[in-house]
Amino acid sequence: MTLEFPYTRTTGPVVGPFLTALRDGKILGGRCGDRVLCPPLEYEPETGAALEPDFVEVGPGGVVRSWTWVAEPTPKHPFDSPFAFALIQLDGADTPFVHAVDAGSIDAMSTGMRVAAQFREEREGAITDVYFVPEASATAQEVTPGDEPVRITTHLVALTISEPLYPHRVRFAEGLLKGRIIGQRSPVSGKVYVPSSGYDNLSRAEMTEADDVEVADRGSVSSFTVITPIQYYGQKETEPYIRASILLDGADSPIIGVDVRNIPVDEFRVGLRLQAIWKPPGDRDVSELGNRFGGAWEGVLERWEPTGEPDADPRPLQEFAF
Amino acid sequence: MSTTPRDVAIVATSQTPSYRLFNDSEPKLIMRCVNDILERTGLDRSELQFTIAGSCDYLSGMPFAFVSNIDGVGAWPPVYESHVEMDAAWALNEAWLRLQLGDIDVALVIGSGKSSPGRPREVFPLQTDPYVMAPLGLDPVSLAGIQARALLDAGIATERDFAEVVSRSRRDAQSNPNAQVAKDVPVDELLDQPYFSAPLRKHDLPPISDGAAAVVLAVGDRAREISERPAWIRGIDHRIESHHPGLRDLTTSTSTAQAAAGAGVSAGPVDVAELMVNYSPEEIVLRRALGLDDATRVNPSGGPLAGHPVMATGLVRILEAANRISAGEAQRAVAHASSGPCLQQNLVCVLEGEG
Amino acid sequence: MARPCAVVGIGQTKYRRQLEVTLDGLVREAALQALEDADMTFADIDAVVIGKAPDALEAVMMPELSLADALGAVGKPIHRVHTAGSVGASTAITGVTMIESGRYDRVLVVCYEKQSEGNATWALSGGRSGGQGAGGTFAPWIRSYISRSGAPEYIGWMVAVKDRQNALKNPYAHLRIEDISIDKVKESPMLWEPLHFLESCPSSDGAAAIVLGSEEVARRCPQQPAWVIAHAKRTEFSSFPGRDTVKPRAGVDCSAALYAKAGITNPLEQIDCAELYVPFSWYEPMWLEGHDITPEGEGWKLTESGETELRGRFPVNPSGGVLSSNPIGASGLIRCLEAANQVRGTAGEYQVDGARVALGHAYGGAAQYFAMWLVSSELQPTF
Repeated sequence: MTLEFPYTRTTGPVVGPFLTALRDGKILGGRCGDRVLCPPLEYEPETGAALEPDFVEVGPGGVVRSWTWVAEPTPKHPFDSPFAFALIQLDGADTPFVHAVDAGSIDAMSTGMRVAAQFREEREGAITDVYFVPEASATAQEVTPGDEPVRITTHLVALTISEPLYPHRVRFAEGLLKGRIIGQRSPVSGKVYVPSSGYDNLSRAEMTEADDVEVADRGSVSSFTVITPIQYYGQKETEPYIRASILLDGADSPIIGVDVRNIPVDEFRVGLRLQAIWKPPGDRDVSELGNRFGGAWEGVLERWEPTGEPDADPRPLQEFAF
Repeated sequence: MSTTPRDVAIVATSQTPSYRLFNDSEPKLIMRCVNDILERTGLDRSELQFTIAGSCDYLSGMPFAFVSNIDGVGAWPPVYESHVEMDAAWALNEAWLRLQLGDIDVALVIGSGKSSPGRPREVFPLQTDPYVMAPLGLDPVSLAGIQARALLDAGIATERDFAEVVSRSRRDAQSNPNAQVAKDVPVDELLDQPYFSAPLRKHDLPPISDGAAAVVLAVGDRAREISERPAWIRGIDHRIESHHPGLRDLTTSTSTAQAAAGAGVSAGPVDVAELMVNYSPEEIVLRRALGLDDATRVNPSGGPLAGHPVMATGLVRILEAANRISAGEAQRAVAHASSGPCLQQNLVCVLEGEG
Repeated sequence: MARPCAVVGIGQTKYRRQLEVTLDGLVREAALQALEDADMTFADIDAVVIGKAPDALEAVMMPELSLADALGAVGKPIHRVHTAGSVGASTAITGVTMIESGRYDRVLVVCYEKQSEGNATWALSGGRSGGQGAGGTFAPWIRSYISRSGAPEYIGWMVAVKDRQNALKNPYAHLRIEDISIDKVKESPMLWEPLHFLESCPSSDGAAAIVLGSEEVARRCPQQPAWVIAHAKRTEFSSFPGRDTVKPRAGVDCSAALYAKAGITNPLEQIDCAELYVPFSWYEPMWLEGHDITPEGEGWKLTESGETELRGRFPVNPSGGVLSSNPIGASGLIRCLEAANQVRGTAGEYQVDGARVALGHAYGGAAQYFAMWLVSSELQPTF
């Protein structure tokens, strides 16, 4: 799965002008006592004392103070093919900072070499608007400045998480494909957990395949709420729907996060008896099932139907709400 | 400090092996350590009066991942516990401070992490300045590479020195049953390998690991009741440097030297030092900052180059040092943990056997 | 032995959306204000502790690393606590521990969140579609409380009105709804039945900071010290068969430990006011009962009687509370510092007259993490 969000960062009185200058094809340093720091800081780094913004243009050329050759760039790096990250001290600045040098080959890199800034065609007021090349290969550029100062800089942060299904989750998934709901019974307490976490936290006991047990595919609503979807990045829901916890017959822990869209809210209540209606075997899909976040029921069930039985007593069900 | 501190010792330890991939949940790793410690000490869960964990949600990509970790520790009946989003060495530091208050005598410290589900080189840039570093995808390997080059340029170390650290660490790891990367590779063979983040080669980097570790701290006589040979914490301190690599001298570790002074490292001989050497050049920097000479055996466990369960790695250094003392193999040891780019933040702990 | 510890400086930013500052600027504003309040500079501080909730809210992992310079922590110890929604109070308690241990004399505690950088509901949903957020988790438990206690439906609305009216007196509060009223609350859209939009907390930006000092330090600071006379934390599992999610045992145990430490036997009488973590209106009566301030089933009656109003017998959330400002990482610390404001007499227009002992409280996760402290204008108050 990918955890992805476009973060928007406000840039304040120092980073803002610095990024604005990058967008406009210039690099700024900031005076701090008798030094020029690059990038400029809002404060004195050794003490934290406040620093009034006092900018001075630095570069575009500078000296490499140290470097490394990145042989296998990650998707988050500024270049797809090998490049150097280097500590670069720009002319006019007293301190170096780390940035990327597109040198072509490791043989072109050396401590003490000169590099120069190049600005990307598409710029957005971010540190990635600029990169560096050996000074001799730098080309002159016409950079059209923007109109507005850069007050916000965006960063799309995307992390890919991928892990195999844990063994007990594999068996749970296989059970779902066969129309069975498999939980685990604690060898210590005898309580049945579904879906199981693979252990009984109350007794710190690990559970194994020997502890697998099937529970019924019918049970009682133990709690619910009606969610009015809040719109956020990646949200797919737009209409209100019920999210319920159901205590399946035979289980001591509810299945949670069950979304119900086929039963009207005024007919839904704690204690309501429900039966799972399975999708035809060929249509069941467990590909959304991960190691967390419950049962991914929507891949294997059509819906939950009221059974027509008398309601279960809602009071004890409160203890199985979550 | 204005009061005489209570004597605190490490009285029990447990760690899982360092796995390339642990195909089950992080709470399970923690549970194994906790159950192991309770069984070996005979303590009841309720006797662990304060629990504190170190872990990092971002490794598993899940906000609030640390919440399920309490399943491994036990929290029913309700317990007094806390959590830091830092290496558990810092959790141990907080436990040490908590035990000074006088009302409780025993604490449990847990560290855990699974690096296998994510891509650490893509996760760790999020640890850097969000405006001018993180959007470059500036990862800790690249930063370590820059630090390594600075050491070479300054004539403080050679690539052979780096390779010697790797060779020795992974050879020593062969006697560590929990090590993940343990093999005897000669220095010249290492130097023949291609660069990965020049001047670093792949073997100069830590492995990707899943694992957990736990340590029990106890005070004074309570410590002597639980352990025959407690490892006493004689000093513990931690300091941080500027976040900006350009503002630091990457060939030294000022904060390690400050923490070492605060912990009293130089007050006696150091038999064993377990240092959080995630990248081989760091051993050279850290030895100098701690003032260690050749009489000190460094990373007999193999160190992080042999197994790197992120967020437990620093605690494991303290654990390994404590184990040497409890086994009678060392009388005085130093353990070190670090955090942040190029050893930005460092914790130093001095341990001693009884009398 | 634990040494005495006091709050000697308090600083906050306004909790509205903060669009003119970086993260550095945000935390510095609160920190510098707290330092000034204590007549100190960064140079006087021995150690710094940061507290904040999931890093995914701003996508800055382990922010103590990138904020160390900004908080004058270079060369010092810096620590970072994370205990979900209760983190602000947990961090305050960690800071207190550092002073009580005797190891440090002046500790700066900073908690913050800049939720406008990301999206809180997205983060709380683990980055997936269909997230129910915190409100969706608590709503069924609130419904259970209502049915167990027989509380009338307007209790939640009363709390929502009271806290927003108090907020109008607090220059830092995020929500400033001049015409807040019962009708306005009950007519606002339903989010998670029974919670209406105006019964829920906002998503806020902000930073809060306190300076903690030893007794010797506190005696020399300009402000009246707010002595931390007790602190406690308790945690339980989020889920297990038979769990009482309405009145979690960890909450009961936490307050019991707190009261015992302070020598309090009758919290309703002996505590003058409380800043309780109420992100959804019904948690006021639920925590009044959940922490044995009122007997079970009676919390809503105290609310209904008006005694939890600013001029009542037991003011709850005189600052406007979490319902008025919720930068998640900071909210627990804000409860603690507002309790301190009360006993130092620096709460301005929302000052509770003669407040001598005040409670600061936070909870987090699936109502499973509790962190609480009591502050007093006296070093050793008797009851």
